[in-house]
Amino acid sequence: MLKNRVLQFLNRRGVVEVISLCVAILIWEMVAVFVIKDKGILPSPHVVFLTYFELLDLMPMDICTSLLHFAIGLGAGAVVGITVGMLMGWFKAANRALDSIIEVLRPIPPLAWIPFAIIWIGLTHSAAGFIVFIGAVFPILINTYTGFREVDKTYIDAAKVLGCEKESKLIRLVAIPFSLPYIATGIRVGMGVGWMCLVAAEYFGVSRYGLGYRLLCIFFPLQMMDKVVAYMILLGLIALVLDRVFRYFVEERLLKWKKGMVTQ
Amino acid sequence: MKKMKSVEIMVAITVVLALLSILSTTPCGAKDITELRFGYQPSTHQIAYMTAMDMGLWEEDLKKFGIAKITEHEFPSGPSEMIAMKAGELDVAYVGTAPPITAIDKGLGAKIVAAVQINGSALVLLQGHDVERYTSPDDLKGLKIATFPPGSIQDTILKNWLKNHGLNPDLDLEIVSMGPGEAVTAINAGAVNGVFLPAPYPTIIEQKGTGKIVAYSGEMWPDHACCCLLVSDELINDHPELVEQIVRTHINATEYNKENLEKAAEIFTKKVQGSDIEIVKKSLENWDGAWISDPHLEINSTLEYVKEDYEMGYIDKLLTEKDLFDTSFYDKIMEGPAPTPEVTPTLTPPAPPPVSTPVITATPTATPTSTPTPTPAATPTPPMPGFTAAFAIAMAIAVACVILRRRV
Repeated sequence: MLKNRVLQFLNRRGVVEVISLCVAILIWEMVAVFVIKDKGILPSPHVVFLTYFELLDLMPMDICTSLLHFAIGLGAGAVVGITVGMLMGWFKAANRALDSIIEVLRPIPPLAWIPFAIIWIGLTHSAAGFIVFIGAVFPILINTYTGFREVDKTYIDAAKVLGCEKESKLIRLVAIPFSLPYIATGIRVGMGVGWMCLVAAEYFGVSRYGLGYRLLCIFFPLQMMDKVVAYMILLGLIALVLDRVFRYFVEERLLKWKKGMVTQ
Repeated sequence: MKKMKSVEIMVAITVVLALLSILSTTPCGAKDITELRFGYQPSTHQIAYMTAMDMGLWEEDLKKFGIAKITEHEFPSGPSEMIAMKAGELDVAYVGTAPPITAIDKGLGAKIVAAVQINGSALVLLQGHDVERYTSPDDLKGLKIATFPPGSIQDTILKNWLKNHGLNPDLDLEIVSMGPGEAVTAINAGAVNGVFLPAPYPTIIEQKGTGKIVAYSGEMWPDHACCCLLVSDELINDHPELVEQIVRTHINATEYNKENLEKAAEIFTKKVQGSDIEIVKKSLENWDGAWISDPHLEINSTLEYVKEDYEMGYIDKLLTEKDLFDTSFYDKIMEGPAPTPEVTPTLTPPAPPPVSTPVITATPTATPTSTPTPTPAATPTPPMPGFTAAFAIAMAIAVACVILRRRV
């Protein structure tokens, strides 16, 4: 009887998730309080939680600035990535011309671009955006390219039979709708990578606000480890929210037709 | 059901035992050390360390204390060095006096046992308009100046200087924080109007022709503390005689550098590969810094930094001299019977008359035969740290086990 009840309880929505989260926090708290006993090496969760109240007036501006950098980088990344990816996917010549260049540039870590971000763009918000851009553009590009490559020949033929002769029309009406799911995945991956570059992108004096700036240029030098952890968690949470929002709008709305094609 | 419970109890007990065995292997008392780990930064401020390393002084002098191996770690900045020290990865650190302030405030157990150097930073303005216009700090209004992050010596001194000249460092001009590489790139690209950096960076920029030094940090804050020799409390408590020798060796290396500027530059170039010997030499000629070893000379300005940091809210406690310094080793060496080298610092820019080259290997100071006092093992063995923790974790895991088992 009891067993059944427990099972029922566990099967309810979100119960296991909450329990696992609580246990993780509990273990963290215990390790921090009993084993490490040093706020500077591992701040405990309740200390971190309390620091959020101290940071209330700093956080909004930092979050907005970071979102601005992120938006610049992701926007530019999407525009460039989708355009170049489409070109490479549709025209063989473009693919042959650009592929080697992109394969050389792609593995270069975004951080290695910091000197040139300063030299080319200066210490502006766009320079931080540039670093995010470098991180975000390649996943978007590669996915768009793959989407265009995968377009089923029969769709093209069918469109041609139905009188869709012009290449631009074929791209617009067949290839783009077909590769939308790929592009969406690319943007999602690009968002993740771009967000990871954000901290480094704010490290070299581009602005006096920003999550990464505050974390690396203020809290770290001043050894405020509780605040460092607080901002690390904040970075994680914001990325989670961004991802969920994106998924809601794209997968639930834009790609609604796709739902149920493979699995639920 | 009963069987299951016993399994769970068994699991819990094994976990407890395993954790205890892990925890008990961590040593509690003083132990002999055979390896000494140094941290430093690739700056001309800290050539004393490099000289001692290059000439094998560390190994030679510390051998008799059982040190068989010297390990060194290079750090781009003070904060990361302090984190490494806090994590127990470093025993001795050559570092600016500012990073230890914030680190000690946040619980780092370490003390400054000797000075390394004073002054030695400079404000460089962009060649052309900015330099021509500059006559006094007032002319910096509206400019963008790059320097190290808050809590660093450079940031503290620059802001203090601006305040003393009636400028508001937050409103009247823009101070952006970044590392040395970024700052040099930024001024070379014209992305900032000026930089305030430690040697040798100002000279590097001047040599490139993009900027000009307009003020030295020694003018902004005469004889301000810069780098220091920081030793972990553990080493001080467990091996005081070893620390004394470290200070002695540091003094010797410092004196050697002061007498042999060219050699010091050479050693630096060898250590920091990719640096240009001519620029390093030039930097050592036209900096305003001085290599010293007397910690007393750094106390006042360091306590001033503490005050600034406290007022800015960077630190929680108003640290005192006792929290930061342990001058006993230096004092003992100076009082000692051994003939001491003149350690009075030359506060003026060193114009070295390289007349006499003292044979450093003969350790003119030391006579370390004065046997180190047998370690009185004054280490109170701390109570076993993790029993309660191990128990708590085991309980947590046991609870998790129960939950998981019930589910199936």
